[in-house]
Amino acid sequence: MSLLSDELSSIVGARHVLERATELLVYESDALPGYHKKPRLAVFPGTRDEAIAVVRALHAARAPFVPRGAGTGLSGGALADDVVLLGLQRMRKIISVDPSARTATVEPGVVNVNLTKAAAPFGLHYAPDPSSQSACTIGGNVSENSGGPHCLKYGVTLNHVIAATVVLPGGDVVKLERPTADHTGYDLLGAYVGSEGCFGVTLDVTVRLTPNPEGVFTMLADFTSVDDAARATSAIVAAGILPAALELMDHGTIECVESSIYAAGYPRDAAAVLLIEVDGALAGLDEDVREVQRLCRDCGAREIRTASDATERARLWQGRKKSFGAMGRMAPHLAVQDAVVPRTRLAPILARIAEIGGKYRITVCNVFHAGDGNLHPNVPYDGNDPDETARVHAAMREIMEMCIAEGGAITGEHGVGLDKIGYMESLFPGDSLDAMCRLRDAFDPERRANPGKVVPSHRCREWLAAPGAHS
Amino acid sequence: MPRATSTTELSEIVRDAHDARARLRIVARGSWPARTAAVATDAALLDVSALSGVVEYVPGDLTLTAKSGTTLAEIEEATRANGQWCPLLPWGGDGGTLGATFSTATHGPCSASLGAPRDHAIGMQFVDGTGALIRAGGRVVKNVAGFDLTRLLIGSWGTLGVITEVSVRLRARPAVDETWSVEIEADDASAARLDEFRRGPLAPLAMENFNGRSLVRIGGNAAFVAASREAVKSLGAAVSADPESWTRLRESDPRPRGPLATNALADPLSQRVKKQFDPAHILNPGILGEALA
Ligand SMILES: Cc1cc2nc3c(=O)[nH]c(=O)nc-3n(C[C@H](O)[C@H](O)[C@H](O)COP(=O)(O)OP(=O)(O)OC[C@H]3O[C@@H](n4cnc5c(N)ncnc54)[C@H](O)[C@@H]3O)c2cc1C
Repeated sequence: MSLLSDELSSIVGARHVLERATELLVYESDALPGYHKKPRLAVFPGTRDEAIAVVRALHAARAPFVPRGAGTGLSGGALADDVVLLGLQRMRKIISVDPSARTATVEPGVVNVNLTKAAAPFGLHYAPDPSSQSACTIGGNVSENSGGPHCLKYGVTLNHVIAATVVLPGGDVVKLERPTADHTGYDLLGAYVGSEGCFGVTLDVTVRLTPNPEGVFTMLADFTSVDDAARATSAIVAAGILPAALELMDHGTIECVESSIYAAGYPRDAAAVLLIEVDGALAGLDEDVREVQRLCRDCGAREIRTASDATERARLWQGRKKSFGAMGRMAPHLAVQDAVVPRTRLAPILARIAEIGGKYRITVCNVFHAGDGNLHPNVPYDGNDPDETARVHAAMREIMEMCIAEGGAITGEHGVGLDKIGYMESLFPGDSLDAMCRLRDAFDPERRANPGKVVPSHRCREWLAAPGAHS
Repeated sequence: MPRATSTTELSEIVRDAHDARARLRIVARGSWPARTAAVATDAALLDVSALSGVVEYVPGDLTLTAKSGTTLAEIEEATRANGQWCPLLPWGGDGGTLGATFSTATHGPCSASLGAPRDHAIGMQFVDGTGALIRAGGRVVKNVAGFDLTRLLIGSWGTLGVITEVSVRLRARPAVDETWSVEIEADDASAARLDEFRRGPLAPLAMENFNGRSLVRIGGNAAFVAASREAVKSLGAAVSADPESWTRLRESDPRPRGPLATNALADPLSQRVKKQFDPAHILNPGILGEALA
């Protein structure tokens, strides 16, 4: 491996290759608590040419590698187990912003919120807004097909990426574009988005920018039962109103937020609150707001507060966006889940989650994208307590199996990574998993990019034995 | 002609064809002869139109799953009663099937505002070129579990698999949905106003040139449409038009529909994808302009 590190140093400079255990410590985990993997070494290219040269050197050495952005992933996707970690965070140039075409082209290490900042002078923004947007990178967002509160109305990363340049693990550089009427062909871009670092390394991304809405209403509806809040969510969806965001936080989450420095003024005695944002053209906005308020009241909302200015709106959102962090402060560890369920089933499913929590004597804090049915039943716990840890794991499995049985999915936005790989076989039949392996093999025939993630490798039927292929 | 009446049967037909290296031309309603003309002439017709019908429709979830041979008109009919729609509204009209619309990724006049086929699908089932029945995505509106085979199949023109079932997200129909026919002058000021309208907060659902006039579709709640109507009138002399104009326009499909000019499978990555899903090159061979062995 030291030959390889010499070679990588000659490409990126010795400062940007880390080998010592102490230097690698921060790269042993991502934002998924409870998992640690030691990379063999870490390399950080600063330019596109360096990144290509690094991937080609890894190819020549037949070395498996794991791309990494900011390491905010919640499924362990950026963990490198004794292989090379390829960090992209130095590649953070905004290459161009085209206000008339409403597009921007950026390097993969650009932090999500910086793209929106660059678009702001033109009255535009980048719509997908993961709660981690102040840290996570566009490269990571593309790999995870990340969502965020405002994806309910505006769509997830997939809907906003129009092109990407990728260096394949074999060293070829390809430009992936959204097919158009004039340019027929496979939607390889669509296949690449959400590929969790298993298909190659993103060198640049071209995204659509969205005009800022003319008007925005942010409301906090306060409920005395989770069931009522869930019913209000289903009612709003069924009524066909498409809020920009529709988020639910339950009592446990409200407590975490209100006891933290991110206190947002959420009512501490509420069983649940809905944070609802309605935006768009000024014409017709009031009507939608009134309809949302009426549906909330019909479902038993105690009070509906409307943010009267930008400061109050920011405060209401801050509580939501920092809620995972606030939970993290409650206990040494936090188990994070990301299931999606049919939106008509929210109320009974939340009731079932509460039952499972009670059965295993754990505290489940629900904070989630209710409008999409994308649940995050999170559990703060002490990972040093083996009994509590076992109970948390058993409860999580039971919750996930229930969501699958309800016709749901095991991840809505965090990705499968390592954390959810064990559920893939409950969700998909063998032939489907094998087909996913085959798609990956088209991009990475030697299976060297992010090995061991997403699809259990024993599910990949044919082993296309390339020289030096690793398992 | 082989006619598949179930996915099991379809799997068997394709598996046999794969083993025998026998080429297949996938046909549902057969309404697109110009485009399918490029398929190898020795390919046997594989009729998939019998795989039809809505499998699951939960209005409260705004999701629907239907077999690929279901026509768009049937889906329109099923969802209309609940004030919902799947606004694919493709060029060519609604007589075509769900499977063909996704397989060809056919857009329509509303695609820019309401989404293209790749934005509407949430899951899919298909039989690949080896006869394997594959499920991708699911029936919920947000899902990143596993690699995205759904997006891969959309627009692949049947060359990676025969789509047997599609799950889509639905939308509420706009409370008010109006169509206006506008005569827009060809001067710079008019062009600027038009540009502002199309890119602004009152952007229309669709806008197309038709018989020398512009057909504009505006939709939303009553107050939004009232404001949009004023904006449309400021573009030029406007008269209210029959909403059915859109159906006629889509059916008359003014766009060229010949075979592909170039080989869409020319690049090595696409070729590798093709090999993984249709190793015997039996599915719609030639339709993407690729050479036949
Ligand atoms: C507090 C908190 C809140 C969050 N909220 C949300 C949310 O609301 N919605 C949401 O969707 N996610 C959320 N996340 C998860 C996470 O922020 C996203 O998944 C994000 O997209 C990861 O970006 P990253 O740069 O940190 O990627 P990393 O964690 O570094 O990597 C993620 C994956 O992308 C791959 N990757 C990274 N860069 C590249 C590249 N250039 N080329 C190829 N592959 C690459 C990695 O191999 C890995 O598989 C949250 C996380 C935290 C900690």
